[in-house]
Amino acid sequence: MTPSVLLRIRRASKSYSGIPALIDADLDLLAGEVHALMGENGAGKSTLIKILAGVTSPDSAQIEIKGQSVTLSNPQSAFAHGLRFIHQELHVVRQLSAAENIFLGQSYPTRFGFQVRWKQLYQQAEQVLSQLGIDHIDPRRTMGHLSPGDQMLINIAHAFVGDDLSRDSAGALVYVMDEPTAALTGAETAQLFRVIDALRRRGCAVLYVSHRMDEIFTIADRVTVMRDGRIIDTCLIREITPQALIIRMTGRELEHIYPPRLVLPFEDVLLDVCGAQTRVVKGATFQVHAGEIVGVAGLNGSGRTELLRAVMGLDRLTAGEVWLAGKRLTRLTPPRAWREGFAFVPEERRSQGLVLSRSVADNLTLPQLGHVSIGGWLLAHRREHRTSLDTGAMVRLKAHGPAQTVRELSGGNQQKVVFGRALVRPPRLLLLDEPTRGVDVGAKVDLYHLIREISARGAGILLVSSDLPELIGMTDRILIVRGGQVMETVLSNGLTSERLLALCYGNMEHVGSRNAIR
Amino acid sequence: MLAQETLSAKPQFAWARFLRTYGTLIGFLLIVLFFASQRPQTFMSVRNLLNITQQVSILGIVAFVMTVVMVIGDFDLSVGTMASLSGIVIGTLLQLEQPLSVVIGAALVVGMIGGLLNGVLVAYIGITPFVATLATLTIFGGLAFSISGGRTIFGQVFPDVLTDFANGGVVLATVNDQVIRLPHLTIIALVVLVIVWFVLEHTVFGRRLYTIGGSMEAARLAGVRVRLLRLLAFVITGFGAALAGVMLSGQLATANPTLGDGLMLNAIAAVFLGMTMSQEGEPHVLGTLVGVLLIGVLANGFTQLGVDTYVQRILTGAIIIASVTLSSISRRNH
Repeated sequence: MTPSVLLRIRRASKSYSGIPALIDADLDLLAGEVHALMGENGAGKSTLIKILAGVTSPDSAQIEIKGQSVTLSNPQSAFAHGLRFIHQELHVVRQLSAAENIFLGQSYPTRFGFQVRWKQLYQQAEQVLSQLGIDHIDPRRTMGHLSPGDQMLINIAHAFVGDDLSRDSAGALVYVMDEPTAALTGAETAQLFRVIDALRRRGCAVLYVSHRMDEIFTIADRVTVMRDGRIIDTCLIREITPQALIIRMTGRELEHIYPPRLVLPFEDVLLDVCGAQTRVVKGATFQVHAGEIVGVAGLNGSGRTELLRAVMGLDRLTAGEVWLAGKRLTRLTPPRAWREGFAFVPEERRSQGLVLSRSVADNLTLPQLGHVSIGGWLLAHRREHRTSLDTGAMVRLKAHGPAQTVRELSGGNQQKVVFGRALVRPPRLLLLDEPTRGVDVGAKVDLYHLIREISARGAGILLVSSDLPELIGMTDRILIVRGGQVMETVLSNGLTSERLLALCYGNMEHVGSRNAIR
Repeated sequence: MLAQETLSAKPQFAWARFLRTYGTLIGFLLIVLFFASQRPQTFMSVRNLLNITQQVSILGIVAFVMTVVMVIGDFDLSVGTMASLSGIVIGTLLQLEQPLSVVIGAALVVGMIGGLLNGVLVAYIGITPFVATLATLTIFGGLAFSISGGRTIFGQVFPDVLTDFANGGVVLATVNDQVIRLPHLTIIALVVLVIVWFVLEHTVFGRRLYTIGGSMEAARLAGVRVRLLRLLAFVITGFGAALAGVMLSGQLATANPTLGDGLMLNAIAAVFLGMTMSQEGEPHVLGTLVGVLLIGVLANGFTQLGVDTYVQRILTGAIIIASVTLSSISRRNH
């Protein structure tokens, strides 16, 4: 007997401002299966989940639950149809107790309809926790005092409120878990897996999103791979190898949008980082030559951003040294770094890169105001205007003029402003964190050419990116970062996305032979 | 993940933009016209208008320096009690027969130290400005009381040089035996206005303050010394508050531990009124000037109309609400 289909999605599509994020996605979730969903960042997993959660409305989609066609217009209707979600980020209120967080958004047990019956609330919370086999968390404790792992467990418990796991009660049918183990220890993960197993035996379906190969191969029955907004393949987990999965995830040929090198890297070492240590970075040692583009690859949370922050003086160095062209930079702070010719393009352009309420000119000249002004203190409005026009032309910025507010620009043009800022004075060292994220292809190519030109003028460049073809296509060498450490350095030439991703995952012994990939 | 980019450069009705930028100014002019029509003889006389500038000069100075901290998105609740404390320092040192220059210098230094304290608490220790300056508000007020023993200092200890200057002015003209003077306090307020305007709009320092106000994180990543600049902004505000205290006690020949306490709320109100006049809702010192004049004109006009002072307060509050409401409604579809 074939198991029944609990959830059927047909031809789900969604685009944002004309850019497709999900294209004709078909997916079936069967009763009693754990279904893994894999794909790179931006592959469309999040969009699909948001549609199921009723957070995002699809441009088109047919969704059936147990054969009945449904519309998931808001989170409440998703809940009513038996869908439960565990999100990757913690959605908790740190000031409230664990019990209150478990029942967040649900009605508390009350007397006379308004007086909360705390004892009963705590008992119910304890019940939910014990169903999940969690007995070490006191539901009375304040959320903020719990460890991140315990907070995640509470976050998970929130999805099980009202479901009696011991009985075959109706209610929840499908659990969607988006990287639930990111903050969990091995033991906690094992506990979660036991819960997932119980759900499977009860006939629920679990859609399980994870980047961790070993988890997928431990817990999942089937796996669906997404790439560029499309479902590439769905197959039984026992019929596929980790290597084949990685190839399907990265898939694409190296696109020819990466302009070739203009010059070879110079001989002289520009940046020399020795044993740099911050709260996250652990003893990073590497060099960047003048004219060289060095990539930094790693999974989310691997410490790749923190590596740049350490170089930029944003996180205090507890040990280690940073040398620039044979000069040791002590007491490195962002103002000092900019003065020495470092330029930084941060990851979040809207919150970290730009002052949205100010003009293009203000944003472009911000780090170099001392140079653009008269005597370092008096604003030279006309000179600023000229500088912004020149810089704007250099980055092919499309704006009404230097006085236009940055908020009004498109994403690609905003990113060009952040880039332009790094070029107002020719940088010696350019630090790029996800410089092309959320930028359309046309602007991307402009930015790639720009990176090449800056590099040709002798600047050293450190490029952090989760776009693996971009890393391979643009860099000379790539530092592999894992757990805050630079694990190894590989040459970009001849590297494939699959191999690079495998290196990022690192510990492949769990899931197959490492040598097989090599 | 694809971020959803929204283009907010929607074409707007011209009147909405116009109203947003000039609404408060138009309202101010309408109020002036109203009082002029009700009391044509007294209200619109040169003497009365100059009188208004003197009446608002002290509030003006506090509001102008308040603009500096509000540009970075902070604010300072302690300016009023700082002005009181500064007055008490003046009175107490004058009782000890110190020379006037030392006395005034000491009061201003006290103001800067108070500002430094605020700045350290907010920028370096990381206490929110509301809590930090609420605490220093209490401390400065308490200091003023304990130094003075709760008594009012007045009379002969205030030298004539000080009180004559604070109540005098530069002679502009003599009409029908009436001497028309530009008050000294008005001149000082104008000087402070020009300095604050120049610093905020034409120096690197001022630009960086606006950047911090726009996005503290972006400013920090772009190499702006956020903490130091926030500290300096508070020092400027403390200095201005102390200067207001000096002028207040000089004008009244009185030092009283609660003399300046009322300045704080009106100063913040003036800055908010001014913020309604800028596109992005940032504070600008010229906007603050309009806010200060609005508050001054209302007080003066209502008094001439014989409106009870308690009712004046209610009306002033209502007009501030009306102005800010109008501005935020026209901004909503932005």
